[in-house]
Formats: sequence, C-alpha cells, structure tokens
Amino acid sequence: MERLPSIDSLLAMPKRFAHQHDPNRPTLVIPAGTCGQASGANDLIRIAKREILERGLTSRISLRITGCHGFCEMEPSVLIEPRGTFYPKLDMNQMSRVVEAVARGDVLSDLLFKDPETGEPLETQAQIPFFRTQVRTILARNEKVDPIRIQNSIENGGYQSLAAVLTKADPAWVIREVKSSGLRGRGGAGFPTGAKWEMLAKETDGKGKYLVCNADEGDPGAYMDRSVLEGNPHSILEGMLIGAYATGANKGVIYVRSEYPLAIKHLLIALRQARELGLLGDHILGTGFSFDIQMVKGAGAFVCGEETALMRSIEGKMGEPRQRPPYPVEKGINGRPTAINNVETWANIPLIIERGGDDFARTGTPGSTGTKIFSLVGRIKNTGLAEVPMGITVEKIVNEIGGGPSGKAAIKAVQTGGPSGGCIPASKFDLPIDYDSLAKAGSIMGSGGMIVMDENTCMVDIAKYFMNFLKDESCGKCFTCRKGTQRMYEILDDITKGNGTLGHIDLLEELAHVVKDTTMCGLGQTASNPVLSTLRYFREEYRRHVVQQRCDAFVCKELVGAPCQSACPIGTEAWRYVAHLARGEYEAAYIAIREANPFPSVCARVCSHPCESRCKSGTVGSQPIAIRALKRFITDRIDPSVYKPQPLRPASADAARIAIVGSGPAGLTAAHYLSLLGYKATVFESDDRPGGMLVSGIPSYRLPRATLEKEIQSLIDGNVTVKCKVRFGRDITVDKLFEQGYQAVFLAMGAHKSRRLNVEGEDIEGVHPAIQFLKAFNLEGKKLARGRVGVVGGGDSAVDAARTALRQPGVESVTIYYRRTRNEMPALSEEVDAAINEGIGLETLTAPVRILSKDGRLSGIECVKNRLGAMDKRGRRNPVPMPGTEHQIPLDTLVVTIGDVPDIDYLSEMGVTISDWGTLVADPVTLGTIRPGVFAGGDVVTGPNTVVEAIAAGKRAARMIDRYLQGLPLEAMSELRRPELYVEPAMLSEEEMSKIGRSVPSAIALEVRRRSFDEVEMTLSEDDAKREARRCLRCDLEFTQCHAHEEQTAERGQPVL
Amino acid sequence: MITLTINGLQVSVEQGTTILEVAQFFGFPIPTLCHMEGLSPYGACRLCVVEIGEGSKSRLVSSCTYPVEEGMKVRTASVRVVRARKMVLELLLASCPQSKVIQDLASAHEVRQQRFRQEHEDCILCGLCVRMCEEQMMAHAIGFRGRGEHRGLGTPFDVHSEVCRLCGGCMYVCPACQLRCTYTEPEKAICGGCANLSPPCLVKDPFDDMMCYMSPCVACEIKQN
Repeated sequence: MERLPSIDSLLAMPKRFAHQHDPNRPTLVIPAGTCGQASGANDLIRIAKREILERGLTSRISLRITGCHGFCEMEPSVLIEPRGTFYPKLDMNQMSRVVEAVARGDVLSDLLFKDPETGEPLETQAQIPFFRTQVRTILARNEKVDPIRIQNSIENGGYQSLAAVLTKADPAWVIREVKSSGLRGRGGAGFPTGAKWEMLAKETDGKGKYLVCNADEGDPGAYMDRSVLEGNPHSILEGMLIGAYATGANKGVIYVRSEYPLAIKHLLIALRQARELGLLGDHILGTGFSFDIQMVKGAGAFVCGEETALMRSIEGKMGEPRQRPPYPVEKGINGRPTAINNVETWANIPLIIERGGDDFARTGTPGSTGTKIFSLVGRIKNTGLAEVPMGITVEKIVNEIGGGPSGKAAIKAVQTGGPSGGCIPASKFDLPIDYDSLAKAGSIMGSGGMIVMDENTCMVDIAKYFMNFLKDESCGKCFTCRKGTQRMYEILDDITKGNGTLGHIDLLEELAHVVKDTTMCGLGQTASNPVLSTLRYFREEYRRHVVQQRCDAFVCKELVGAPCQSACPIGTEAWRYVAHLARGEYEAAYIAIREANPFPSVCARVCSHPCESRCKSGTVGSQPIAIRALKRFITDRIDPSVYKPQPLRPASADAARIAIVGSGPAGLTAAHYLSLLGYKATVFESDDRPGGMLVSGIPSYRLPRATLEKEIQSLIDGNVTVKCKVRFGRDITVDKLFEQGYQAVFLAMGAHKSRRLNVEGEDIEGVHPAIQFLKAFNLEGKKLARGRVGVVGGGDSAVDAARTALRQPGVESVTIYYRRTRNEMPALSEEVDAAINEGIGLETLTAPVRILSKDGRLSGIECVKNRLGAMDKRGRRNPVPMPGTEHQIPLDTLVVTIGDVPDIDYLSEMGVTISDWGTLVADPVTLGTIRPGVFAGGDVVTGPNTVVEAIAAGKRAARMIDRYLQGLPLEAMSELRRPELYVEPAMLSEEEMSKIGRSVPSAIALEVRRRSFDEVEMTLSEDDAKREARRCLRCDLEFTQCHAHEEQTAERGQPVL
Repeated sequence: MITLTINGLQVSVEQGTTILEVAQFFGFPIPTLCHMEGLSPYGACRLCVVEIGEGSKSRLVSSCTYPVEEGMKVRTASVRVVRARKMVLELLLASCPQSKVIQDLASAHEVRQQRFRQEHEDCILCGLCVRMCEEQMMAHAIGFRGRGEHRGLGTPFDVHSEVCRLCGGCMYVCPACQLRCTYTEPEKAICGGCANLSPPCLVKDPFDDMMCYMSPCVACEIKQN
C-alpha cells in the first residue's frame, strides 16, 4: 500500500475502489468475532468459501467476514446484503443451501428467525425484536466493515472525520464539537470527554503529551469493548487521531487486556495498515500533524483498568493506583500530561465529527447523550450486545431486547456495572438508564455489563461472588480495600453457610460504607456497591438467611441441605424414604413419610410436589425423581398401622383446650399435633363431614373418598373432637369460644368464595362459580354441567372443574379459557396434560369480556385475544387485550375459576383484621393475629393454596400455639433442615442412569376415564418404583456420610413437628 | 501561599504542603501508621483520612497524600471521619492484635472490641519498611508482590538479598512487629540478636513461629545455642 500524500487522496480513495463493487451484488456477511468463532463461524466461512469457488460464483456473490454484530445468542449467523436476510444459529450443513439460495435470489424461510410470540418467520434483522428497539450507531458499522482491511473501512466512511478535522485545521473547533455533543466517558464514571480534552490541550509541557485508550475490559460478563476492538479497530484509531489533533498529544497508547487475542491481532493489523497509508506517524496526510500509537498488553489485573494503575502498568511497574490529585491530565505517564478514554468513547468521536456535536446530543437524555452498548448476559433469552439510546428503561432492555427470562423463573434483578456496580430490582425496572439515575439507584453505569438474575439467583450469593472476585483483584495497597473486601467476603460466606447473625448484617453494612468512604481508588470506592445495593433492595433475603437460615433460591448449599427436603413446606425427608424404598425397606420408608406428614396418602395423590421441581436430578439435565409417585407406591403398599405416633408429651386431665375452626388439612393437622403435644382440641366444621377442600374441592378421580376418609379418621384420637354442622360466625364466635374455656383459637376455615369476573350478566342461569360447581357435585352429587362447557381460569380448580364437567352426563365438550399462555398457568402441568388427553380444549391468551344470554340463560361468551405485555411486579408478563380480536363462543355452561377468597366478612367484628383482598391477616411466621390467643393459617390467610402448604400451616400453628400456651415468645425460628440420618445408598451406576428415564405411573384407559370418577392414576409397579428410587442422586450423603460408621438406627420414630 | 480552613481555623501555608503536615503543624492530631517524615507519602493505612469539601460533595481523602488547595475546607475529626477511623482500627485489631502501636491507637480512639474473626498477622502492609529500605538505605532489598489477599512483602524469589545490609531499618519502622525485638533493651527497639542473623520478619523459614517480643527471644536463644 502506498502512502497517502494528502487529505484529498484519502477522500478520493472510496471512489477509486467504487467500480469494484456492485451495490446490488449479494454479499454473505458472517460475523466472526470471538463469540462467533466460538460458536462455529469459522466452519460457516470455510464452507461458504468452498461453495462459492466450487459453484463458480466468485463474480456473483461476495463474502465479508466481520466482527460481532451483537446478537451473540443466535450465532453463528449469516446476513445477506443487500436484502438484509438474517439466518440465525446456522448449522454448517445448511450453509451450502444458503449459498445456493442466495445465488438464486431466494430466501429459505425454514431457516429464518421465528418470532417468539407468533412463531412467524421474520426475514430481516430490522424485523427481529432484538434489533427493533436498538439504535445501532456504533455496532451497525461492524456489519459493514471487514476489520482487517483498511480500504474496506475507508470505503465505509472510515477516516472521513479525520479528513474533515485536518481540512478545518482548528483544534479548538474539535474540542467545541466534542463539548457540545455532551459525550461522557463510557468507561463508567462518566466524566465529560470535552472537558478532559480541554484540560489536556491547556497543558503545555514541551516534552509531549499522551492519549490512552483504555481497553482493559475486565468485568465478568461484559464484552462490548471487545466487539468494537475486534470489529472496527479503525474507528478507535480515528478517534484517537482526532483527539490528538485537538489536544496536541503526540503519543498514543492502546492498553488491551491480553485475554483478547483476536482484538490484539486486529489492532496490530489496523495499526500497521494505518501506518503504511500514512495515517499514523509523522506528517499525517501531508500535513504537519504527527501522532503515533503503540499497543500495550495488560498483564491480567482487573485493577489496571483504573487510570492511575493503568498508567503505572504502561510505565512497566506494578499496577497499583495512587491517590489523585495530581490527575493524569497534569501528571500522567512518565510524568507527562495524559488523557485516558475508554474504547467506546473513542469510537464515538468520529461519529460526533461526522454528525456535529449538537446533532449527536439529540440522542439520549440531556445529561447523558448518545448511545451506549450494553452487554446483556445471565438468565435472559437473547444474550448479546445491545446498543440503545441513553435514557431507555431497564424494562425495555430486559423484555423487548432481551426477550424476558430464559427459564420459567421470573426475573428478579439486573446487575449493572459488573463487580463495582449494583443491582436494580425488578420493581425498579422503569428506571431510565443514564449516569445519574443509576448512581441514585445505588449502581453505576460501569462499562456496560448487564447481568440478568432470576428467582433462582440468591442475592447474598451474588454479593459473595463479586466480593470474592474483588478480594482477589484489589491491588492490596490500601488497607481498607484489601482487608475490607476480605472481611466483607468472610461475613457473606458466614451468612451463606448459616453462621450469620443479625449483628453480621449491620456490621457488613457499616463496613461497606467505610470501605466506600476511605479507599484510594475507584475500585475500592465502588467495591461495596454489590453489598450495599443488595442490602438496600434485598435485605429481607439476608434476614431470611440469618434468622430462618433459609435460601429461597436454593443456591446456598449449606442452608439447602437436600433440596427435596428443603423445598417441602413440611420438611419431609424425601431423600430418606426414597433411599429406603431403593433398598426395599418399605416400612421404614412409610415411617419416614408419616413422621413429617399426617396426610401421606392424600399428598401421595394431590401434592403439588415442590420437591420434584427442586430435585437435583432435574436441575442438572436429567428428569427429577418421581417423588410423589414413589410416595404413592409406599402408601398404597404399607398399612398405616406400622406407624403409631408417639405422643410428644403425656396428656393430662387438666390439659388446655384449643378450638380449631375448619377441618381442612390445616385444621386437622393442627388438631393432630396439638393432641400429640398433650392438648385437647375441638374442631368445628360447617359442612356435614370433616375434610374441608379435600372433600368438597378435590374430585374423587384424583383422591378416592375411601382413602381420604381413612386418613382423616386416623387423625381423630381421644384428644380430638370434631363437631360438624357448626357455622362459625352464626353458631359460635371467638368471644364465645374463649368464654367456653378454650385457651387458644386456630382459624383455618379456608377460602370458599369464588372471585367474580366482574363482567355483565354474570349472575344468569348457566354460569357457576367454581367452588359452588365442585361442591354441588362432591358433596351433594348435583351435576350442573351440560352441553358445551367453558371454564375460565388457569389454576388447579379450573382443571378440576373442567375434568369434573367432562365426566358429567350431557356434556358435549369442555374448553378451558386462560388469559396468559400455557407457561404461566398456575395449575400442575401433569394435570393440564391429563385434561388435554381426555379431550378438553385449551384456549390460551383468551379472556372473556362479556357474557351472552338468551331467554335469561347463558348462550355464550364474547372473548378477546391477548398478547403478553410488560412484566408486573412479580415478574409475570401481563396480558394485554388486542383490539379487534373480539369473537363470540357459544356455550351452555360456564364455570368461573379465577381464584377464591375466604368468606369471612363476619370476622371483622371478632377483633381480627381482614386485608384489602379479603384474606385474614396473620403474621406469616407466627401465624398470630392481632388478637392474642387467636391464630390463623391455611387458605383463609394465603388465599387458595396447595394442600401441603395448608398442612405446613397446621404444623406451624400447633408449634406456635404450644409456645403461646407455655408463655414462650412467638418469633421466627430457624428452618434449617439438614439431612441427619444415614441410609446406606443403593444407587444405579452412571451408565445405567443415563439409560433410564423417569418412571411415569400409568393411568386407566381413556374411555373409562371420560365417564367414571374412578381414580385415574395407578400405582407404580415394584420394579419401576425401585428403579426410580435408585435414580436418586442422594444429595443427603454430603451431610450424612459422616455418620456412615456410627452405630445408629436410621429411624427417628418420633413425629417431626 | 495557599489559604485554607482546617477545623474552622483559617491558615496560610506553602504550596505543595500536604493536609497532614498542615494539621500536625497547627496541632490537630491525625493518627497514621504508614506515614513517616523522611519517607515519601504512600496513603496505604487510611487512618489519616480527613473530610474535605462541603455538603453532598464532601468526601474523605488520605491527608498524607493530599496537597492543600486554595480555599479548601478540611475537617480532621468530623463524625464521618471518626466513624471511618474507628472501623479501620477495628479491622487492624482484628488482623494484628499484638501490635502495641495498634493497641494504643485503638485505645485512644475508644475502640473497645472488634467484631470480626480474629486473625494473628504480623504485617499490615503499610509499606514503611519498603520505603525505608529504598529511600533511606538505598538498598531496594525488599518490595511488594502479589495482589489482593495474596499481597505480601519480601525479597525477590524469597532468596536472601545480597543488597540487604541487615541494617534493621525495616524493623525499626515497623508498627506491627517492632515489639518482638525489644526484649532485652526496649529503648533500642532492635535487640541486635535477630538482626545479626537476618531480619526474621523477612526470612521467616528458620523462625516460623518466632514471637520474640514474648520472653524469651527465640532468635537470641538460637544464637546462644
């Protein structure tokens, strides 16, 4: 390449090459940055080259290899210019088809990106939601430029801004433009670039000045600088040249971390080519301006990204910061004035000159102008780089660009700014992203890393992770940073291991503030941010770790123990009975179940099995152990008489009497355990038999009545009296109970009133609230459904109602209408599957707006189609009706199951409080109401909930009432349940394990199911059950192995309260 | 001359003076562990922090490294400063409880307890010895290596340094370990016995558990044998 002698020769260059390119000739653009290469872009390039050569298409198709375009999740990808066709995640075997199609001018619609909502193929990048919201001024150039060819860069506008600056020959004008652009440092601190340059320009040191490009990008999960370095290195050189011209600097340094080999390679090529063309060196483009850039590779220390440490590292010394002042612009590298800017800042400079400072300032907010590239990683669908205008909300980035959470768990928070930044909780997602709002929210912009975290992320663990990083990466020079990060880590580690105290949390906060206050450099001053911001927004989670010793995200191993046991609201040692089952010790297995659960046969059928969703076997790639089905196997096989609950305390004649209102699972459980504790319990029930929702709500095809009856009777012993047909509020009141000598009252009357749709015509004939519909059938045998049946709702009772309706005579069809998608349905997935199997229709994203009637009877409903919109506070995406999609559905019966509320208006006169949404207010930990001696739990407090949660409430009530009667304080207690008893493992080898999957219990024949109320699910066979049990990974062994050689029986024999 | 306000007192000092020097000159006590006249300021111990600026822009800086600025307002004992200093002392006590200097400072600042897990380190990495060796003894025998929690002090490759003259200057200035060598003659601060062998804080191998401020001095005994 020959040297360009003048500015004009540079400007003429694009024209010189223009004839070589036909703008209409199709070009295959393959992004091959580090991310692209890692996902296989090199294979695509190889095949594309071969195909083009072999088919003789060299004159018809061009190929361009570029840096990363930003959509890393979909790499390796191919973009076809000029049409803009985008093929994501392209398999190398498809590449020849693509080349063929391009030659024909065709589009392969099967390979196109599919719209995540509608499933429609989208041809061009511009249509894809990930790109739609972005403003890609910097990243878009990566598509156009082949980073290792300087001509290619010049043809696409590269070095044109430099030419403009040199032509104008007015350094002060450049600084004015940069100042008016409002550009602030993209490295994170946001210092105005123009002001920095002005200061440097004013420094008059005869020995020269330095410009530095800080490319020591070290935040975990942040790689936007890398993509610019790899994809368009000339934009950085051009920016630095313009900066040098404006400030009078004569030496430039690019400090790149050595972990970026491709960036280093592309930079070295760019530097060499620019020097050859005379764009670097002495007398650039024939003018008197001289400037040269050298590249320095970092040595892998995070702290070297801090400017004073970076300068020392460039000087060849140990990278440790020093106190400012003097600032680098006064005294920098080798004592000379130095200005340091981030990669992205430099890449913005040519754009500012090209567009003019004022025009640049129009993008973004007044305080933070322009665009910013964010590196979107973590639990999100579309990982990649997103360039957005400043001031955009976090919500837009996470949901519109990021596409929402990657799994089922809702997004909980976003960490911005890497380890030095802080988290922003989901409730603050309407926060506009600019330097000042982020600082106010306790985080920083940082270089632009954005780590998305969902409900399965423990915030204490996150703080600990970052602190671990920082304690290693602190240079160690100043005491508070070195020791402070170590001590913060130590405290966080204690908390995650269950050794924390409330004092620890306060100490942590105090220390974090002091570290922030007293350290020398930016690293230390921001090191506390992860701790302070998680404490600010997730303090309750810290307290849960300390007081209840519970990690709700199931991350902190020491607190979780065996996940199945930890996930069970009543602490059933699932691992233990599974282990006994695997060894054929069925009685021991039954005892293990029964110790924790007074309703083993009920739970074996209808439990929502949170244990299975947390099962390690399921989370590490295989399927979870079928714990509930194994429980069914045991409870069906073993006679309950093998377990005689031992009283925890002997009963005495003068034992306290306790009144329990409601005989559902919560009430009966409380009565059972209070009886074991030596108290006398009286249970009041308004219906004619005990059982509550177990009898009236759950259909018999899931829970046979004989089984249920047996289990309920087994709990009614000498200390327990059940009085049916007593209506609370009418026949008895709290006051009366106390008058009659009861010393404590437990209210557990459930939620028996269906919530209304609040649409017109809801009260006409043919429309039934779910509870009434199910009760009418389960208690009185009334069959209310006929003809075409519609069920509105997505919970368990919707499915129960639908399946019950299907089994009633005269029913033609049953359809469930739900306003969100199947993913959001709260009903148990296997229940929904069973319903669909039986022929029940499922219409999602559909909501009723009007009830149609004819002659005073239901004739149908008018529905509207929804789409999923913004997230609500809990991270669920809200349905948004789409106008114009209203349609009518003819129906004969409509069951409304959109949630139940307690029927307790009468309670407000009994000295307890009722919440705004109709539930009884009780402390979630102590279950105490505001009236001493009155406790409440179960659905009446929580709203409709699972059976196992109700049992848990009953156990808790027994514990708390016992404490109350003994005069002990009612307070939160540790919920730590580490496995204790050792059961010798009988496991499958890994080889066997990989061969077999989860055992699924079989069901009775479909034809029978549709007509009868016989139990649908059958018991596992003994072989299947044993094999399934042996699949268990035995998470407990980590805690119980130490007892392997101790002499002990693997039985507790006592009820576990 | 530069005019500034220190604890409400308006003073004029020469340009280039540090806040610490001004404070000491006018009699405002500022504790410090890593500063010593004759050695270059380093700013490592963070005990000498003072508050500068006003309102929301106020911040803490280490006074030993901060040169005075025109119109600057300095507070050497504000609530924020005292809180920070106490925490620094608590951290020091937690790591290095046997140092008499640290004990005295903690006592003077009414730090009565430390709430962290107790450690027994013999170095707070204040860097006095490194600067002493480099700037006063012109030896460059010792320096820092590693970073974060692995930062330590020693000779290159942990080999006995040929440029070390066993002058004992490093121990003379050490705030953490100085006591160990004052067993026989406290007023001299260096007993000589250890120094003649080699500085035990640096070449630890033979005297790994040496704590010679406790009687009797192990190094002295070894030498006698």
